[in-house]
Amino acid sequence: MRLYDIVVLLTPDLSDEEAVKVSAEHRKLLTDGGAELVKDEPWGRRKLAYPIARKREAYYHHFQVTAEPATVAEVERKLRLSDQVLRHLAVRADEELKRAAKMTERLRVKAIKRPPRPPAAPPPTETAAPERAAERSEP
Amino acid sequence: MTAMGRSGGHGGHGGGHGSQRDREGKTAGRKKFFVRRRKVCKFCAEKLEYVDWKDVKLLASFIPERGKILPRRISGTCALHQRKLQTAIKRARAIALLPYATD
Repeated sequence: MRLYDIVVLLTPDLSDEEAVKVSAEHRKLLTDGGAELVKDEPWGRRKLAYPIARKREAYYHHFQVTAEPATVAEVERKLRLSDQVLRHLAVRADEELKRAAKMTERLRVKAIKRPPRPPAAPPPTETAAPERAAERSEP
Repeated sequence: MTAMGRSGGHGGHGGGHGSQRDREGKTAGRKKFFVRRRKVCKFCAEKLEYVDWKDVKLLASFIPERGKILPRRISGTCALHQRKLQTAIKRARAIALLPYATD
């Protein structure tokens, strides 16, 4: 099982209720495939940064699921076939999140290992520069 | 880089010791050039290791008017985070959260 972020864009031709219904279908598609929903957020009607298929707006819906790769591949195939879906993006998230967690952990350990310095040390050059400037202007 | 610029300025100062007015003019000029804030990687400073491609507000702060990705030399982002930021911005562009180009 892997963690995926899936964002689906629906045509603005749908009414709000229809958009909710279509998203519910997508949800069912995912859960029927054995996916577990972690996040399920409608972002509502948003303006697009650029027109897609002559549309300037779209309904966004974000799913975060843990699923098998085959399930996501199948759902993606169905999303591509659907006329109501303007565009979608499914990205695997677990690896990047794991790497990020590791980095944060390493930073935390590093901060603990170095007790003489206060945890939030001010950037050294910023304090050093004005001092030097002052020295020079004296004589 | 700053240190080099400074030492160069110092030499100039020593040489132009002649008249008072000259010196003052030079110091004013130097201040204009060298009072520059040190750029710090935003992600390192705020300890944001995961650059979320769904966070439009964050990503938009690295997109100037033209719609291009703000270069490292301007934003001060470190190499590692610029790379992560780059993929995040490109993903956001794919689903029209951010523009590819604007004019």
